[in-house]
Amino acid sequence: MTLKSGITRRGALKLGAAATALPLVHIRTAGAAGKLTIAFWDHWVPAGNDVMRKQVQAWADKNKVDVQADFITSNGFKNLVTIAAEAQAKQGHDIQALPGWETQNHRELLEPMDDVMKRLISQYGEPDETEQYLAKWKGHWMAVPTSSGNQNKGPCARISVLKDKAGLDVVNMYPARDVRTDAAKDWTWEAHLKAAEACQKAGMPFAIGLGVTADSVDTAGSLFHAYGAEVVNAKGEVTVDSDPVRQVLEYAERLVKVLPADAVSYDDASNNRALISGKAAMIWNPPSAYAVAKRDAPQIAADCWTFPAPAGPKGRFMPLGAFMWGVWKFAANKSAAKEMIEYLMQRDNVEARCNAVDGYDLPPFPKMLDFPVWANVEPPKGTVFNYPMRPVHDSQHSIACSPAPPEIAVQIYNRGTLPTMFAKLRSGQSIKQTIAWAQEELEGFTR
Amino acid sequence: MSSATTTANAVAATRRRHTRSLASQRRWALYGSYAALVVFVIMFLIPPFYTVMTSLKTSAEISAQSGNPWFAHNPTLSNFIELIEMPDFQYFFMNSVMITVVTVVVSMVISVMAAFSLARMGFWGSSTLATGVFLTYLVPASLLFIPLFQILGFLGLINNVWCLALVYPTLAVPFCTWIMIGYFSSIPKELDEAALIDGAGYVQMLLKIFIPVAMPGIIAATIFAFTVSWGAFLYPMAYLYSMDQMVLTVGIISDLVRGDVFQWGKIMAASVLAAAPPVIIYAFLMDYYIAGLTSGATKG
Amino acid sequence: MADGTSVPIDAIATRRAPARRANAMQRFARRRSTIALLLALPLILLIAGLVVYPAIYAIYLSMLNKRMTHFVGLGNFAFLLKRHTFQLVIFQSCFFAVSAVILKAIIGFILAHLMHNIPSRNQRIWRGLLLVPWVIPLAMSTLGWWWLFDPSYSAFNWILNALGFQSVPWLGETWIARLCVVAVNVWFGTPFFMIMYLAALKSVPDQLYEAAAIDGAGAVQKLFFVTLPMMRNIIAITVLFSLIVTFADFDIVRILTAGGPQDTTHLFATYAFVVGIQSGDIPLGASVSLFMLPILAIAAFFVLRGVNRRSKEIAA
Repeated sequence: MTLKSGITRRGALKLGAAATALPLVHIRTAGAAGKLTIAFWDHWVPAGNDVMRKQVQAWADKNKVDVQADFITSNGFKNLVTIAAEAQAKQGHDIQALPGWETQNHRELLEPMDDVMKRLISQYGEPDETEQYLAKWKGHWMAVPTSSGNQNKGPCARISVLKDKAGLDVVNMYPARDVRTDAAKDWTWEAHLKAAEACQKAGMPFAIGLGVTADSVDTAGSLFHAYGAEVVNAKGEVTVDSDPVRQVLEYAERLVKVLPADAVSYDDASNNRALISGKAAMIWNPPSAYAVAKRDAPQIAADCWTFPAPAGPKGRFMPLGAFMWGVWKFAANKSAAKEMIEYLMQRDNVEARCNAVDGYDLPPFPKMLDFPVWANVEPPKGTVFNYPMRPVHDSQHSIACSPAPPEIAVQIYNRGTLPTMFAKLRSGQSIKQTIAWAQEELEGFTR
Repeated sequence: MSSATTTANAVAATRRRHTRSLASQRRWALYGSYAALVVFVIMFLIPPFYTVMTSLKTSAEISAQSGNPWFAHNPTLSNFIELIEMPDFQYFFMNSVMITVVTVVVSMVISVMAAFSLARMGFWGSSTLATGVFLTYLVPASLLFIPLFQILGFLGLINNVWCLALVYPTLAVPFCTWIMIGYFSSIPKELDEAALIDGAGYVQMLLKIFIPVAMPGIIAATIFAFTVSWGAFLYPMAYLYSMDQMVLTVGIISDLVRGDVFQWGKIMAASVLAAAPPVIIYAFLMDYYIAGLTSGATKG
Repeated sequence: MADGTSVPIDAIATRRAPARRANAMQRFARRRSTIALLLALPLILLIAGLVVYPAIYAIYLSMLNKRMTHFVGLGNFAFLLKRHTFQLVIFQSCFFAVSAVILKAIIGFILAHLMHNIPSRNQRIWRGLLLVPWVIPLAMSTLGWWWLFDPSYSAFNWILNALGFQSVPWLGETWIARLCVVAVNVWFGTPFFMIMYLAALKSVPDQLYEAAAIDGAGAVQKLFFVTLPMMRNIIAITVLFSLIVTFADFDIVRILTAGGPQDTTHLFATYAFVVGIQSGDIPLGASVSLFMLPILAIAAFFVLRGVNRRSKEIAA
């Protein structure tokens, strides 16, 4: 259990909150037999990296392996740049945390993980369908769906603001227990728009981004799915010029009018900042904004409630920000990498990490959705109870840009085409112009 | 008579008035210049000022958004202390220092040797080369970073901080060579003839005469090489991603800007610390700095 | 006789001496050029290996398909030119470079004149203060600007609000964002122009102004008939170089807007980064950055002219 000098010194630093920003960790173990390098996703909840570090430490000590863990932020696309660079240079970390479509994007360079998945499935059952869709290729698991960073990006709203300004009692609509309420049936995109308009009038807009980063894309994806709109269909044909897409754009035309002035330049931190600074009535985000608010603006955190996405004509779709752990084919230490992943995906470890981050990390295995953490996080008690998808929500996961073939979907996703369509509307272009632009852009992706 | 006197008086008066008005005109022009300069200085210093102010605030103060954001109401150095103790920041800083030192040394050796050769000795094609050196500035880093990515990948140097020691000299050497050619050319030819007669070789001549005489030029070129490699952004952005391989410019932007939204005090403190070395050097060696900047102009 | 015999030897000696000297000179020259070449060799290797070769390699890369498996000729260029997004990149690169350089040149010119007006003993401190934007690493100062423009925490908006104005979405609206990007570049680059112009102004002989004054020239006439013609060379060179550097800018846009909103602030460099490194399409990224070549080639033509003139001056 000895930590070499570097770590102890770091551990001793009285950095308080700053301790979260230790994104690189060397873990050396006496008599180490091998070396393993991992790129973890840098957690947005301040406590997220610490607990991960402890678990990695425990595994490294047991298995006598030197571990170098990088915590790579998704801000400024840093993780995507890293993944792309490693794939291009054919060198890099043994394990990479792959968000969303990246597993499919690099499936030819990834080591199949069937053996690990077989054992995990025998313990915990099949993962969520959307996770399977993103992780499997030709029946093989190209990466292991993880809980670390795996997130639902539904609405997180200010209880008092929605109640006072929009007459919407979200706590009553989605209380912290497994019930179907009548109010929830009326939670549609139309209701969402009405509330957005009312709150904007009161100077507290819905801070939904129209930028090109994941948060903006995922919210847009949920809206597209709710109307059954596909910009590229499963066969890879560009189908943006279609009635469901037009319906979405007609809706969006009204919504973008009431979004914040800066919505177009939003990144994944802007919406958090808007909520924490008390300037927004609602954001679409996992509970990291909540967790930071709890530290920096507690009175706002106590007024937050997380709940499912609104429904559209084709159903209710909760945006999923999936994360997988993949092992490169060119990784130096594949066997250790697989062992480590399997260890970190054990129920106890998943739960410990989940607890540390106020429930942010959703397990990919539905069987693990019985952790008590979501009911217990407070204040207010039960604020993230409805953050994981529960049967009473009558909801399904949405992965933005599906069902387009992965090699096209990843480009639509990473270039933020869906929210950019909304941004075009916002800048005064017509639906026709927007579709024409998207048509051309999407044809470019099929290159 | 009387009319003549009045005329003469009138002429003298106008002349006096004229000179007085000229003088006052000059004085007003001077005041006007100062006033305009003050306005410009304020505009130019707003971002650094705000950066310093933010670096003195706590996260709580930034997020509270109460009161005037342009001043730190409860100034604290805690951001700086935490930063200096933070291992990532230490990595960034040490890497930046290491790479900058190597780049400056390598660049200066290459460009002083080459400038001496091109300005004084010459060989077949040397004048073409002198022109060619300058033209390399027309091939900016933003054109080269993609092929260099492939080349560095082939050499196995992606995500290795030493790859910067390889590519940074291309940013500094052409201009340093240019500065040095200018300085070496201005040294009188009689000096080397005298040295040759005394039996000195070329290398001795370079070391014993040219380098000491052209010291101001060398200092100017060194400052230039330092500034360029300390502040370069695109190459590390494209080629480095691990924390322990990162340098300051990119490290602060891509690794301190995190999901955790109120690190801004620390980010600004980091940016103050990163800007400090060039600013300090500049404060002490401003004249060399400016000589380096303008050497292209005054000669051309 | 001793004298007699000695004469021919001396004569031979004196007659042979020039030949030997010529020989030595030749060897000497050969040695000299060898040493010269050796001294310049690191420079040659550096430029050949890390500038010329990659530049040619970029051209080769730009003609491959995405997976780099086969040759597509000019296909990537044709593909890019057809995309509206890329047409915007071309427009923005030109708009950014031209407007920023013009503004820098004008403001730099004004500043240089203001500096020239004040007594030279006071110039040092002012020059010191005005050069600060140029000294701070650009990435760091842009980060400071970004924080000034932040949607929720903008200190500029605080001032506007205090004066009773609405908040401005600095980086959220296409044209505001474009102007912000230009503004940061102008802020950063103006001191360089100022310093160059100040050096040039100082080199204009006072007699010229006096002569002009005697001829009854006013301030405007002095500006157009004395100052500007005398500074023409420096203005041209400074503008040319600034144009190249501004055209190739990466830091400001990458940090401030990352190309947004809606890809309307992308420059060639930042777009090449997004396409080539971030999305892993190396050939397309190489093609994007090669679009800088025509402009650079034109610049090269003028630079060559200037450099030739300069080397003639050195020779003279």
